[in-house]
Amino acid sequence: MVNVNKLGQMKIQQTAFVLIALTLFFVLVGLFFLGFYLQSVKEDVSELNSRQAKLLVSKLANSPEFTCGTAFHSKYADCVDSDKVLILMQNSSRYKNFWGVDDIKIWKIHPSATHEECNVLTYPDCTTYNILESGTVGVYESNFISLCRIEQEGGKSYTKCELARLMVSYTKQT
Amino acid sequence: MNNKKGFMNVSFGWIFALVVGAFILFMAIYVSVSLIDLQGTNQGAQVSRNLGMIFDPLETGFEDSKTTVLDISLKSKITNTCNLDSSFGTQGLKTSQKIFGKEHGGDIEVEFKNKYLFSDKIIEDRYFYIFSRKLDFPYKVADLVFVIPKSKTYCFSGAHKRITNLTMALNLDNIVNVSGECPDNADEKVCFPNSPASDCTIVVDNAVTQTTRKLGKTVTFGDDSTMLASIFSDPEIYECQMKRIMARVASLAYIYDQKKDYIESKNCITPISLDNLYSQAINYEDSSDLPLLYSTRNNLIDNSKFRDCLLW
Repeated sequence: MVNVNKLGQMKIQQTAFVLIALTLFFVLVGLFFLGFYLQSVKEDVSELNSRQAKLLVSKLANSPEFTCGTAFHSKYADCVDSDKVLILMQNSSRYKNFWGVDDIKIWKIHPSATHEECNVLTYPDCTTYNILESGTVGVYESNFISLCRIEQEGGKSYTKCELARLMVSYTKQT
Repeated sequence: MNNKKGFMNVSFGWIFALVVGAFILFMAIYVSVSLIDLQGTNQGAQVSRNLGMIFDPLETGFEDSKTTVLDISLKSKITNTCNLDSSFGTQGLKTSQKIFGKEHGGDIEVEFKNKYLFSDKIIEDRYFYIFSRKLDFPYKVADLVFVIPKSKTYCFSGAHKRITNLTMALNLDNIVNVSGECPDNADEKVCFPNSPASDCTIVVDNAVTQTTRKLGKTVTFGDDSTMLASIFSDPEIYECQMKRIMARVASLAYIYDQKKDYIESKNCITPISLDNLYSQAINYEDSSDLPLLYSTRNNLIDNSKFRDCLLW
């Protein structure tokens, strides 16, 4: 009778161990799958962010806050009005998250100027316009643009255009 | 006695195996269903996000409009929401898809601040026509994006030749223009002032009051772009999007006003004043304010003609 009881207990213990092992196995498989799934979701988010940044940077110069429009009497493609950009920089808090990217900056390439950040005091003899800044380190996408403004010489005003890069950054999920 | 014990042993083992088996089977089915649901939600969010990105290439440059066809590969339900929660408001999109007859996704709303989508609140199809129209006030303010299910047919009855040409230029095969009665199978019968039709679902008065009556509500428009917006969108969506757009009109008026002061120091003097436009746009309540805003806009267009120094 005692032997039968012990045998029964052994069987129950065996079953319990098998069940625990089985549960642990399924939990581990589940965790592995969840990790894999979350990683693929993160990659999808990064991919979407990257595509959005690429598409945005190619069209941002035509956005009303940036575009030259017909202000310089000609219809230039990918033309950014630097006077508007300077004013936009002073009101950038209103436009936070407006374009769905972290940072937007313009970097003047030619003619090269002093490597100064543009603001009311340094404009237009400056290089970098930090329009939106999030403070995070992101991945940049860029596009070449004409950066135009009104200048004056000998009492007459004229349009001056320079070569620049419009850059937008997005956060890469890791 | 022996029989009883044997009976107990067998039944315990079987009952135990059945309970554990059923539990494992239940967990497996539950996890699978949850994963399919999660995948559906993820898919819906991705489609919404992609949809938002499709609008970027539709951004107009110097052209007036652009059209494209969107194929989502599965019959999808797009929910268009418009919120006035921040300074420029937000455009929300929720997408759910039908897989084996069951709807999946639609829980996650993807938001955009720089998009203005004009459509019914819920649109359902696999193929959608998407087109954009530039809105000038008089400077470029935004691109109005229109989304129409390809299977939904519109009949424009008694439209002026200018409107007929406008819809033909959009290359949409689900819009027909007629001078008399609309065919019975048209989903939306849009009647213009010269229409003899009586069973109209949308009534447009672009001759006197500049209004559109749809779903029992009347909204006001100001030009062809906003007229199309009032026809193709739900009246509540139209009112909300126009309010968001007016916030941008005001913000741009402020930027141009500051620019005006700046370029005056460069001997580039322009007599244009944007104060009226700014105050009217910032105090915009609903589309009944549009006639006044359009009158200010038209004055600005007249004043900026033949000037050496241009602001926009």
